[in-house]
Amino acid sequence: MHTLIVIDQPPYGSWGGRESLDMAFSLAAFDQPVSLLFIDAGVLWLKQGQEPGGINQKSVERNLAAASIFGVESLLADTAACHRFGLNEDNLINGVTRIDNTGATLQQYQHVAFSG
Amino acid sequence: MPADNHTFTLVITGAPYSSQAPETALGFAQAALRAGHTIDRVFLYGDGVHLASSLPSPPSDEINWTRAWSDFLQEHSVPAVACIASALRRGLVNESEQRRYQLPASNLATPFEIAGLGEWVESTIKSSAQSSRVIYFHGGA
Repeated sequence: MHTLIVIDQPPYGSWGGRESLDMAFSLAAFDQPVSLLFIDAGVLWLKQGQEPGGINQKSVERNLAAASIFGVESLLADTAACHRFGLNEDNLINGVTRIDNTGATLQQYQHVAFSG
Repeated sequence: MPADNHTFTLVITGAPYSSQAPETALGFAQAALRAGHTIDRVFLYGDGVHLASSLPSPPSDEINWTRAWSDFLQEHSVPAVACIASALRRGLVNESEQRRYQLPASNLATPFEIAGLGEWVESTIKSSAQSSRVIYFHGGA
């Protein structure tokens, strides 16, 4: 059963997204198919060159870059949200698939979990 | 048991007193059992782990959500697990974690337990069965 974890919060304002990422990695560690979908301000997770040292946090960029190595099948991002936040092929991290119809994407997964 | 019996895992990510998630989840759990369904387990994640703290002491005319959940879990023998990573970050520990991290106290309420995300993974694997579902109760953004 393929799980889709949806992240709709920006990376550093709360721990919710980070804990959603842990859920995805945990599924992958147990060999369960899992993908991540970033919508709304959640797409900011996918921006290149994050430097959150000034707020004493670790960059999530490295975690996401390692997602495929840990077995996360795909990183999906809502195209409209990417556009709204000025994200394009030049400043998105590698390996992101942009999708136009999030509703249809949600339908493709048997188990969908939003970040708290 | 009705023929259309379902098994539910409840995931609570909203904290009591900051969100309605524990209350809504308890209402769902009670209604599900009344209708002949089964609650496989309850998993507390993120801020939801605060529900398993034995320390909140609300005014006497407000509901103590930890106690309400604790009574429900014990009456119906439903296991409840708080995610260890979420719990340690937020200061929810049992006696063994208290010893491990040399903390001055432990505060895990009975009958809650502390375990890893593997518990949740197991629930999602089980939920691939037609009659089984994982339901999330969030605190809202």
